[in-house]
Amino acid sequence: MNTEFLALAQMAVGGGLMGMAYALVAYGFQLTHAAGKAVNFGQGELVMLGAFAGLSLSTAALPYWVSVSGAMAVGAALGWFVERTAVRLALQQRNEGWILLTIIVGLFAVSAAENIWGREDKPFPTPWPEGALEFFGISVTWPELAIAAGALGIMTLVELAKRYTMAGIAVQAVSADQDAAELCGIRSRSAISLSWAISGMSAAFAGTIIAPVTTVGPTMAASLTLKAFSVAVVAGLDSSFGLLLAGIALGATENISGFLLGSGWREAPGLILLILALALRPQGLFGKKIIRKV
Amino acid sequence: MKAFRFILALLLSTSFSSGAMAADVVKIAVTGPFSGGSAPMGVSMRDGVKLAVTQINQKGGINVGGKTMKIELIERDDEGKNDRGALIAQEISSMGDIAAVIGTVNTGIAVMGDKYYVEKGIVKIITPAAGSASMTQWCIAGATDLPIFRFAAHDGIQAQMVVEQATKMGCKNVAILHDATNYGVSGRDDLVKQIQKQGGRLKVVAIEKFAIGDKDMTGQLIKARAAGAQALLIWGIGPELAAVASGKQKLGFRVPMIGGWTLSMSNFIDTAGPSGNGALMPQTFIEDESIARARSFIQAYHKAYGVTRIPSPVSAAQGYDAALLLAEAIREAGSTRPSNVKASLDNLKVTVKGTITDWKKPWSKWDPSNVETHEAFRRTNTVMGKVQNGRVVLANPADRIVLEGKMLKN
Repeated sequence: MNTEFLALAQMAVGGGLMGMAYALVAYGFQLTHAAGKAVNFGQGELVMLGAFAGLSLSTAALPYWVSVSGAMAVGAALGWFVERTAVRLALQQRNEGWILLTIIVGLFAVSAAENIWGREDKPFPTPWPEGALEFFGISVTWPELAIAAGALGIMTLVELAKRYTMAGIAVQAVSADQDAAELCGIRSRSAISLSWAISGMSAAFAGTIIAPVTTVGPTMAASLTLKAFSVAVVAGLDSSFGLLLAGIALGATENISGFLLGSGWREAPGLILLILALALRPQGLFGKKIIRKV
Repeated sequence: MKAFRFILALLLSTSFSSGAMAADVVKIAVTGPFSGGSAPMGVSMRDGVKLAVTQINQKGGINVGGKTMKIELIERDDEGKNDRGALIAQEISSMGDIAAVIGTVNTGIAVMGDKYYVEKGIVKIITPAAGSASMTQWCIAGATDLPIFRFAAHDGIQAQMVVEQATKMGCKNVAILHDATNYGVSGRDDLVKQIQKQGGRLKVVAIEKFAIGDKDMTGQLIKARAAGAQALLIWGIGPELAAVASGKQKLGFRVPMIGGWTLSMSNFIDTAGPSGNGALMPQTFIEDESIARARSFIQAYHKAYGVTRIPSPVSAAQGYDAALLLAEAIREAGSTRPSNVKASLDNLKVTVKGTITDWKKPWSKWDPSNVETHEAFRRTNTVMGKVQNGRVVLANPADRIVLEGKMLKN
């Protein structure tokens, strides 16, 4: 295999693995959008807070898995908190104030993190071995594999829970038709709260798997919300499989364009793809066109 | 009468404490990044200055023209941001009662902010910023009378050492990696210039840059490897240097990493972990208590700040020695007026025993055609350091005599 191709493949694989983290954050958008028709524009900050929570727990000498679970619990609580404080009231009043309010909660989170943990980027300890694995001449590190495994794992678990648990089915019913679900005795408010908690949990988990690759700092998620939102929009807001594909594609494109055009151009082609996707398929590449009967 | 005087003094000192103090203290400003990516250098520099000031104040203070005055420090965090640094320089230079300024880590800030000090003739000792531009800008401007002094091994010296090291290790082809800041770009130019100056024995096969905040350097490294680089000459700061080290490890690209002294920053060493081992960089100070000259400073620093490792030992030691030199200059000037302090820094009479070396007339009268007049460090004050298991050690044990101060600058 020639070196040029190998270099591109290396860049694509590294970017694609990172793209799975975008997909996981985008999955959080999908969850809350399905149930409550709103998304958290401070989702990236939840990722950051989750990573810091995990870091604090592991510096308190707790084992890795306990720290990650703790971070997920913190994330779930924060997701619930965002819905309760920033979203519910605005939606009840049928206005779009939640867009601004979730951004504000995110900004608060950045300030809080700067004051609690400081502005420095810190390494995130993991139990994975040092060094890299090589597949056909392409190097992959353990933390990168953990991103892939973690993103797939958590998305599969949540999807299964949606289909086979009572609570999951209730959330799905609320997504389909809130009024009808309430007539069947489902408390739609609880179902929406639950979906926000799960969304926060997956964001925090994303933080703990991204952090070993990128280090933890208050600004680690600055561009993450936007990228994940692009992934969610390109994929459509109701296909979790589509999210993974779109995430991998965006991550790989970013890395390849950074390699070919110079690191300053990393983000541009991804954004052009986003515009094209929106122009050609506004419901998303994997989205279903919803026909509303009146 | 005595009692009356005592009560009066007491009343004065409580009710007009700030006003009464102002006349009896020497005000020195300390500026630098105390937060953000350059913070290990800024904080260590500030703490080194503070340590020297505390020791001077414990002995009563500085004898300024027959009156013993204590030193008061005014701290400003520039966050490593050029615009903020320039604002701080404006603020300090308009305060009116500042005797001198010590600080600045980021070359861009010196380039943008120091003009305010020069306008007002306020003395500034730049430490630990090493970028060449912070002094050469005054050669280009043709300043005839300069109150800016540097107390750091500037990038010209550092680039010389990096190129010497790569040649010594038998490299032929090298790649230059640098960040896109003033520091990184001027470091790249210094390296290219030095390679030519040393006879062009090294061939630059790739020049790659990266931005502050980049976490994935595999692209740059793949290109350097494809071009056949046998060593990476690198100019950047902690977090991005760490990303380069871990990218190198990921790709199994085992070539030496030689670069500016920023490779000794704690946020490089900690984030890179084992992948940072073996990185080489010029140092003016090594945190090693077995070096007699350095011992008391290292122990005092550890005790004062409750640490077992200085975040940036070079910055701390340079801050400490710079404060000692400044205090001596103020004593010799017999005044806190910036113009007098400048004149005595230009021509220090007493040799100051520092933790780095014995400083014998480190600066001379500014000459715009010779930047070395306001540069305190020479190649002979500087040694190669190496990262080894979380610390910086001497790369070449024979250099120990330099740090013991037995090789004085000529």
